Amino acid sequence: MNQDEKLSIIKDILLTDEREFTSSIEKKIKSLEKTINEKEKLSGKVDPIIDDKLNNFIKEIPKTLGPTITKTLKEEIKNSQDAVVEALFPIIGKMIKRYIQHEMKLLSDKINTQVNNTFSFKGIFRKAKSKASGVNESDLILQELSNTKIEQVIIIEKGSGIVLAEFSKNITTDEDMVAGMLTAIKSFVEDAFKKESQNLQHIDYDLYHIHLQNFSSFYIAVVISGAYNIIYQDKLEDKILDFTSKQKVSDILNNKTLINQKLEDFFNDDSI
Amino acid sequence: MIASKKIVLIGHFGVGKTSLIRRFVENTFSEDYKVTIGVHISKKTLELSEDQSVSFIIWDLEGQDDIKKTRVSYLLGTHAFIYVFDLSRPSTFENLKSEINYLHENYSKIPLKVVGNKVDLVNKEYLTQYNDEFDDLVDLFVSAKNGSRVESLFSKLAKELI
Ligand SMILES: Nc1nc2c(ncn2[C@@H]2O[C@H](COP(=O)(O)OP(=O)(O)O)[C@@H](O)[C@H]2O)c(=O)[nH]1
Ligand SMILES: [Mg+2]
Repeated sequence: MNQDEKLSIIKDILLTDEREFTSSIEKKIKSLEKTINEKEKLSGKVDPIIDDKLNNFIKEIPKTLGPTITKTLKEEIKNSQDAVVEALFPIIGKMIKRYIQHEMKLLSDKINTQVNNTFSFKGIFRKAKSKASGVNESDLILQELSNTKIEQVIIIEKGSGIVLAEFSKNITTDEDMVAGMLTAIKSFVEDAFKKESQNLQHIDYDLYHIHLQNFSSFYIAVVISGAYNIIYQDKLEDKILDFTSKQKVSDILNNKTLINQKLEDFFNDDSI
Repeated sequence: MIASKKIVLIGHFGVGKTSLIRRFVENTFSEDYKVTIGVHISKKTLELSEDQSVSFIIWDLEGQDDIKKTRVSYLLGTHAFIYVFDLSRPSTFENLKSEINYLHENYSKIPLKVVGNKVDLVNKEYLTQYNDEFDDLVDLFVSAKNGSRVESLFSKLAKELI
């Protein structure tokens, strides 16, 4: 074998390997690409890892920060007892509030599970939205909803669930069906949790939060997309109170056209 | 003018409440039996005249073998009841009188239609046998399967509610 032949063989071996290597890499990239494209698959893989890390981090807090905190606290308490009482007062207040909030959350989770087990309401909003905008459902789920928007406001007669007035932006769901379903859920919850005298204040469905606010003969449901937190809830409550008192809604309940118009004027922009 | 009316269907399990609604709303029928859990809401608008329509918001409740067990809050604000029993199963109408009385006593002002469903499964002789029982209690014999008198049940109701 001469030099050239040897070289050629070596080249062959090397190149074959390289080709195989390349194609195996290519395969891996392809499958990665596929995984990334199938966002749901990816999040299925990534979520447990993130959860794990978070859990670990939380578990480690007492070990890493605990001793320092305890030591500092002990010293502080010894040195200035009055100041500590002063300082702890709001914290304890907050803790109690948080405890109550936590209990409320548990209760509302309990309610949600019950409701989900009882009603086949889920998906109706998302389906309607995806139909309206032409995007597929999973894309809608993944879509980041950064700003809070009022999508629909329905004034609903208590008991019967009949729609007294309605205003909506892009939602294409049938307000009569939504109102009926909400009323059924509300009746169920308020019945089932009678001893807790629980008033259903909001329902989460898929991308939407449905804020519920009671008045004497009717209640108002506001369908919201985007973040819905206590602050927003609070402001929205005020806005609704403002609306019902300023517009004297109770006096014009039988004039659907008029309230519809007032609803639109009042809720058309998303500022609250 | 469109008037919205809440209609509630009640009656034992499997008498055909869901089927009657499907026949009325979608004009379909299925032999499969899927138990209704909780409440199912559907809607259908009937045009009575050029300027008058009725939108039925129909509440399909899960069946109860005893009407007293029906969740009262589901019945609030109802504009009309349809009480359904199964003509082919006497157990679903053996307490018909007391169930209807219960409705009369507690919801005296609310219109009520009492219907015997699955009339397609029984013959004249069979029905004659129960003549006395049904006579002044039952409004209509219907069939969700072949659609017999389903439309007329709802259009009668619509006229009474306007
Ligand atoms: N032959 C016949 N079967 C019926 C009729 N209506 C309902 N069914 C059947 O009876 C069963 C129970 O019906 P469903 O509507 O689910 O009863 P529900 O529990 O009262 O809602 C189903 O298998 C239906 O297919 C009818 O008019 N004729
Ligand atoms: Mg049913």
